[in-house]
Amino acid sequence: MTLFFLTSGLFLGWSLGANDASHVFGAAVGSKMVTFRKAAIIASVFFILGAVIQGSGTSQTLGKLGAVNAIGGSFTLSLAAAITIYMMTKFALPISTTQAIVGAIIGWNLFTGNHTDSSTLTKIVASWVAGPIIGGLFAVLLFILVRKFKRSVKIHLIRFESYIKTGLLVVGAFGSYSLGANNIANVMGVFLPAFNLQNLDLGIITLNSSQQLFLLGGLATATGIITYSRKVMHTVGNNILELSSEAAMIVVLAQALVLFIFSSTALSDFFVRMGLPPIPMVPVSSSQVIVGCILGIGLYKGARNINFKILGEIGLAWVASPVISGVLTFFLLFFMKNIFNINVGHRIDVPGVTVVAPVDQVISNTETDMSGIIKYLLMGIMIAGAVAMIYFYLLERKKTMEHRKSEERFWKNLK
Amino acid sequence: MAVFTRTTKNLIIKIDEFFDNIDLGILVFREGIKSYLNKDMESFQRHLQKVDTLESNADKLQREIENDMITHSILPQHRAEVAQLIDELDEIIDGVKSTLHEIDIEIPEIPEELNNDIIRLAEASASAAEELVPAARAYFKAPFTVREKLLKVYYFESETDKISFNLKKKIFHESRELDLAHKAHLRYIIHHIENISDLAQKAADLLSGMAIKIVM
Repeated sequence: MTLFFLTSGLFLGWSLGANDASHVFGAAVGSKMVTFRKAAIIASVFFILGAVIQGSGTSQTLGKLGAVNAIGGSFTLSLAAAITIYMMTKFALPISTTQAIVGAIIGWNLFTGNHTDSSTLTKIVASWVAGPIIGGLFAVLLFILVRKFKRSVKIHLIRFESYIKTGLLVVGAFGSYSLGANNIANVMGVFLPAFNLQNLDLGIITLNSSQQLFLLGGLATATGIITYSRKVMHTVGNNILELSSEAAMIVVLAQALVLFIFSSTALSDFFVRMGLPPIPMVPVSSSQVIVGCILGIGLYKGARNINFKILGEIGLAWVASPVISGVLTFFLLFFMKNIFNINVGHRIDVPGVTVVAPVDQVISNTETDMSGIIKYLLMGIMIAGAVAMIYFYLLERKKTMEHRKSEERFWKNLK
Repeated sequence: MAVFTRTTKNLIIKIDEFFDNIDLGILVFREGIKSYLNKDMESFQRHLQKVDTLESNADKLQREIENDMITHSILPQHRAEVAQLIDELDEIIDGVKSTLHEIDIEIPEIPEELNNDIIRLAEASASAAEELVPAARAYFKAPFTVREKLLKVYYFESETDKISFNLKKKIFHESRELDLAHKAHLRYIIHHIENISDLAQKAADLLSGMAIKIVM
C-alpha cells in the first residue's frame, strides 16, 4: 500500500524527467552536438547525484510551507500536481512542476485548516520572479566573457566547437546535478514527513530516509529522461536553435548556476558568514529560468522583436499553475477523505507558529522492506547499466570498423 | 577525449591541406597559361599534370572532410555551409583543370598581339580566386575579418570582367585578319579563363553570408 501511495510522486518524477530535464540538454541534443544516448545517461546520473547529495535544502522550504502529515495527503497532493501538469500541457499552456506543487501544498493547507506560512510563500514567489532575472544577468555576463575570449584568442572554429561540445557535456552534467538538487523537492518533498525509513548502508555511503526517497524520485526522473525526453529535447533544441552553440552552452550554464544557488545550503551559509542575508532554498522553475537566460542574451544582442507572448505565458503560468493545482488538490482531498475514507492529514499547527517536521503516529513507518527494495533496485540498475555499456561499446566499434572498410573499398575502386 | 581531440586536429589539418591545394592549383593555372602563351609546351604539360594531382587530392580531401564532419558530429550547426564552401572551392580547382585541359586539347591559336591581354585576364581571374583562399581560412580563425578580405575578390572579379569585355571587343572589332570561327574559339577560351573569377565570386557570396551568421 505504501508503494502505491508513492506512485503519484514517482509519476511526477517521471514527468519532471520527461519535460524539465530536457531543457538541460535540449540545445545540445537538438543541435546534434551531443547524442541523445550520451545526454540521457549523463542527465540521469547527475540528476540522481544532485537529488541525493543536495536535495534536502529545498525540501525543507516546502516542508515549512506545509508539512503534509499523512501519506494519503502526500499521494493526493502529488496526484493533483501531476493532473494539473498533464492538463496544462494538453492545452499547450506553459507549466512549471514547482508552481503546481506549491499550489497543491497551499490547497492541502486550506483543506486541513493549516496555516500557510506567508513569509515562506513570499520567499518562494519572489524567487520565481528573481530566477529568470538572475538567469538573464548571468547569461549576459557569461556571453560577454566568452565572446571576448573567442576574439582575443583567435581559436580555430573547429577546435572551439570541440571545446563547446565538451563544455556542453560538463555544463549539462552540472545543470542536471543542480536540477536534481533543486527540483527533487517537487517530486518527493511532500512525502518526507510521511516516511521514516531505516538507514541504507551501501558500503561506501549510508543513505538516510529522505535520501532514499530522493533516490527513488531520482530513478523515476531518470526513467522519464530515458523513455520520453528525446522528443522534448528535439523540440526544445529546435525552438532555441537560433542560438549559436556557445550561446546554448551559456544558457544551460546560467540556468544551472541559478538552480545551484537556490539549492546550495553551503553557499547560503557562506553568505551568512559574510554578513549577507541567506539565500532562500527554493525550488525554481528550470524552464522559466532558461527563458530568462535566452531573453537576456537576446536583449544584449539588441533584438528588437522580443516575443512578449512568451513573457505573458510565463506570467500566466505563475498565476494559473498554483491556482489550478490548489483548487484541484482541495477537491481531490475532499473525495479521498469523504468517499474513500483515506487519512489525508490534519491540522497540526497553531496559526503563526510553523511546525517544520511533525511527528505523527499514523505516518511514522519503519519500512525495512522498502530499503531492501531500493538496495536490490540499485544492484539491478548497476548490472543492467554495465551490460548496456559493453553492448553499446561493441556496437560503436563495429560501426567504426565497417565505415573504415567501406572508405578503403571506395578509394580502392576509384583507383 | 583523446580520440576526439585527435579527430579535431586531423580535420583542421585536412581543411588546411585542402586550402593549400586550391592555392597551389591557382598558382599552377597562372603559370600554365603563361607557358602556353610562351609556347613552352613542356612546361605547360608539367603544369597540367600538377593540376591533375592537385585536383585529385582536393577531391579526396573534400570527401574526407565531409565524412569526418558527419561521423564525428563536428560543426553540426555550420556543417552544411562548410561543406558547401568546400564544394565551391573545389569547383574552382575543377575549373582550373578543365580550362587547362581545354587548351591542351583544342590548342587555340592566340595572336601574339593578344598575349599581354590574355595574361592580364588570367592574372586578374587567378587573383580573384587567390584572394578567396585567405578569406576562407579566416572564416575558421577570425570570422570578423572575412568580409574585408572578400573585398579584394569582388575587385579582381570586376577587373576580370572589364579585361574580358575589352578583349572580346578587340577580337571582334579590331582583329579583321581573324575569321569568325577563330574569333569564336578565342571567345570560348576567354570565357573559360574568366569563369575562374566567376566561381570565386560565387564562393565569396556564400562565404560572406556564412561570416555574418557566425559573427552575430
